[in-house]
Amino acid sequence: MNIVVLIKQVPGTSEVSIDPETKRLVREGVSAVLNPFDLYALEEGVRIRERSGGRVTAVTMGPPQAEAALREALSCGADEAILLSDRAFAGSDTWATSYALACAVKKLGAVDLVFCGKQAVDGDTAQVGPGVAAHLDWPQATYVSHCALAAEGRMQVNRMHEDGYDVVDISLPAVVTVVKDINQPRVPTLKSCLASRQADIPVWSAADVAADAALLGLKGSPTRVVKIEPPPPRGNATVVVSGNPRDCARTLIHELRKKSLV
Amino acid sequence: MRDHIRQKIYHVEALTPKQATADIAGDLEKFAEKYRTLHAAGCTICITDNPMGLLSFQGTEVIEHLGLPVDPQRLCLHLNTFHSKRDFDAILEACIGLGIEWLLLISGDGSVRLPRLSGRELGCDVPAVTSVELLKYVHREYPGRFRTGVAYNPYEPQEHELEKMRRKIGAGAEFAITQPILEKHPALDHFLEIFDLPVIVEAWMMKKLHLLSECVGYEIPEGTVHDPLESLAKLIATYPACGFYLSFLGMKTQLPEIGGLWQ
Repeated sequence: MNIVVLIKQVPGTSEVSIDPETKRLVREGVSAVLNPFDLYALEEGVRIRERSGGRVTAVTMGPPQAEAALREALSCGADEAILLSDRAFAGSDTWATSYALACAVKKLGAVDLVFCGKQAVDGDTAQVGPGVAAHLDWPQATYVSHCALAAEGRMQVNRMHEDGYDVVDISLPAVVTVVKDINQPRVPTLKSCLASRQADIPVWSAADVAADAALLGLKGSPTRVVKIEPPPPRGNATVVVSGNPRDCARTLIHELRKKSLV
Repeated sequence: MRDHIRQKIYHVEALTPKQATADIAGDLEKFAEKYRTLHAAGCTICITDNPMGLLSFQGTEVIEHLGLPVDPQRLCLHLNTFHSKRDFDAILEACIGLGIEWLLLISGDGSVRLPRLSGRELGCDVPAVTSVELLKYVHREYPGRFRTGVAYNPYEPQEHELEKMRRKIGAGAEFAITQPILEKHPALDHFLEIFDLPVIVEAWMMKKLHLLSECVGYEIPEGTVHDPLESLAKLIATYPACGFYLSFLGMKTQLPEIGGLWQ
């Protein structure tokens, strides 16, 4: 099973600001970390590899410093890592980013499964995973909380939604975006951290992945952010759960989980 | 642990490098230097376990990697509830391999990045694992292999804290290490009257107190002046039957001084 995990380096703080001119996140001077949801995607990939064999390749697109996120991925169990870095990628929106990442997946070849976190915590769009699936013309399952390899070339996943989850059977290759319920990411060891810092990380340009320059960067980005403003504050609400204690507890836990409070 | 107290052996905290460090090699080197210095000074080295929920390298791994000497009587490994079962067992096995006997079993500080042991994994039916379950597990799975201690918090409501301590002792705790105190503490005095247990008093060796406030969760009045060595000397005089655990000990300025304080 050859698995690609798409990861992203994001600002390490929730106090990010937005450039009023470009309407883009200001990343300069802000510490960077691996997008928390991507750790779950990575863990799932590594667990499948441990059960079924194969390789896990972490891929990210970003400036040279995004290499740090790839080294973290290696320390968490990825076998190899690839950085897509090129001025041609600069300014890409989620669609152009998806295209570039899909080109990298194609270049890798013989990929069975692409995992992503459900969204990145900076942009919060949740669009890149589905975008990659669209560019590859592969099936996709989003917000997945459980996956199990089924018959040859198929996988069964639980796809979370507000009222529970759907059990979905998908054919491989596929793109799967995961939620935090799917697993508990492992903690890197000293040995794996030291090894990750020594690893060679190839840098691929737009030309390396045979990407059409017209579909990258600002040129390839149909998104236009016309205005950004904070959402209106949410009012407090009291919810009364009634019924037998067991059902009440189940409902309460479900509601708290939906809000990521437990 | 009574021997440690009788022989006036200090317990000194040693923090392993954080995983987020930009300079693993440099931090490992600093840790090795501190460890070797404390070892040579005859102190019991106490290695923390992801303090404040911050991801740090595991003590046993660091000792193995750096080839540091292990004196089974003068090394105490902290171990908390924030581990996967696989990692927890691996740490215990590594302790056995290294000859580490003393463990401080604590609930610990979690974070989103740290897994938490479940009662089911440890073979007990509890909603949340605490040091009591760790004690039961360690003594059940590794009978006679480890000497275990626990934390005592004089800042918590004492009725509950003392009841917890009874359960900890019932589960195999042989000694207790307090949260840091700056001076004579009435809750600790009461504790010492009740329990016939070797107690190691934690002394705060940093001049700044804001971090202590965060650690123990109570507000230390602003403007409180703290002279760590003077405070340690007073604690030694106040609690002559106790041992002493030193957090944030200054290796250059304070280590040479502490020998003379506990005679």
